[in-house]
Amino acid sequence: MINTLLTATAEHILNTILSLEPSVQASLSKVQHQVLAVEVRDWQQTIAVTFTGHSFMVFNNYQEHIDCHISASIDTLSQLKDPSQLTRLIRQGELDLEGNLHLAQAYSQIFSELDIDWAEHLSKYVGDGPAQLLVQQLRQAKQRTKQLDGVLKTTTAGLFQDELKVAIHPLEMAQFKAHTRELKQHAAVLEQRINQLLAR
Amino acid sequence: MKESQQNTTDFGYKTVAREEKASMVADVFHSVAAKYDIMNDLMSFGIHRLWKRQAIACSGVRKGHTVLDLAGGTGDLTAKFSQLVGDTGRVILGDINDSMLKVGRDKLRDLGLVSNIEYVQMNAEALPFPDNSIDVITIAFGLRNVTDKDAALRSMYRILKPGGRLLILEFSKTDSEALSKIYDFYSFNLLPTMGKLVANDSESYRYLAESIRMHPDQETLKGMMETAGFEQTSYQNMTGGIVALHRGFKY
Ligand SMILES: C[S@@+](CC[C@H](N)C(=O)[O-])C[C@H]1O[C@@H](n2cnc3c(N)ncnc32)[C@H](O)[C@@H]1O
Repeated sequence: MINTLLTATAEHILNTILSLEPSVQASLSKVQHQVLAVEVRDWQQTIAVTFTGHSFMVFNNYQEHIDCHISASIDTLSQLKDPSQLTRLIRQGELDLEGNLHLAQAYSQIFSELDIDWAEHLSKYVGDGPAQLLVQQLRQAKQRTKQLDGVLKTTTAGLFQDELKVAIHPLEMAQFKAHTRELKQHAAVLEQRINQLLAR
Repeated sequence: MKESQQNTTDFGYKTVAREEKASMVADVFHSVAAKYDIMNDLMSFGIHRLWKRQAIACSGVRKGHTVLDLAGGTGDLTAKFSQLVGDTGRVILGDINDSMLKVGRDKLRDLGLVSNIEYVQMNAEALPFPDNSIDVITIAFGLRNVTDKDAALRSMYRILKPGGRLLILEFSKTDSEALSKIYDFYSFNLLPTMGKLVANDSESYRYLAESIRMHPDQETLKGMMETAGFEQTSYQNMTGGIVALHRGFKY
């Protein structure tokens, strides 16, 4: 079940990429509906992926017809981000491939071309400002920790100076008193009404 | 004794006349249709999506296939199959209940999936298709609502092409005692309460809980499939047997 959850997450990520990089659709149009199975040796897991022309579908323990099967360690697989490595890795015996080579190449190709603007992507969920901020903050995380102390100090100092020094103007005070009197009268009228209603 | 067995059937824990069950089931699903999807997510904590994924992975559905998503309701499986079969295939969303079909049709239309999907009102016991015409049939969380399950299985067998397969996704029996206690408490106390709060309908959700308990266990259902003619039948338990996925082939 955990594996199914993980493949569901992988599928979600791939489909997010698809929505961010519409060019992926064109790159995969030739291998639509073909099933690529990737065996990750270190995890002893095989993940099958197919592109339907609409979206990606990813499955674990897929036992149906497969068009291309590749098997390698996670290290080797991560080198596939560079498509020119594929044939070298096969020759060196680091990667086994059975079936349609073009399918593996097509997938390798799209990952090499990916250049995702994560701030743009995040903004869909949390809005532009926070997304920019989040990405910035992640980048500057270390720096910020150092700065935080200083920032806190100036902020509190500013607070005390600007906010607490404010005095109430006499006119404001008079207005406030008038409002209170009015409110008192309203309340009295209301009280009377309620008493009448209750007495009925 | 035999007489009375044939004239009555279960409706949850109640016993009702055989001819009444279908319309009582219909009432349940008419009343839950609008809130069905949100309740599904709530009731199963979203896990029903994982169960369905597993069914799709085992379905062998491919480009060009004709697929029947029987008792398909609001069309979760149909949405995936529609993409897998592509323009050259077709998917039929079949359900006895037009309220569920309507909710399904609206949802799939909103997802932009239309061209290869048909919506047909049908009873699983008498499927309106010629012999040997369907590649894959799925019935997810539907079989337990069917009055005559044997007739339904025979009907599915008849319309499958040789080489075709049936997948049954259904609540089943868990073998863990602890899990089964938690599950009982959940389904007879929490479930109807959630049903009341979200869909204002605790009775329908009580029926769902009861009908799950009345459904045949894994081995029994496997036997029923074999009696109907299916071969190479097997099942896999999910979430400790709370749900089982049965599969059988026609050759
Ligand atoms: C719990 S829903 C499942 C819907 C969908 N397959 C899912 O997994 O979300 C059960 C469905 O079975 C349908 N149903 C009940 N009895 C049926 C029958 N005899 N023939 C066809 N469909 C039936 C109901 O109308 C309902 O839509």
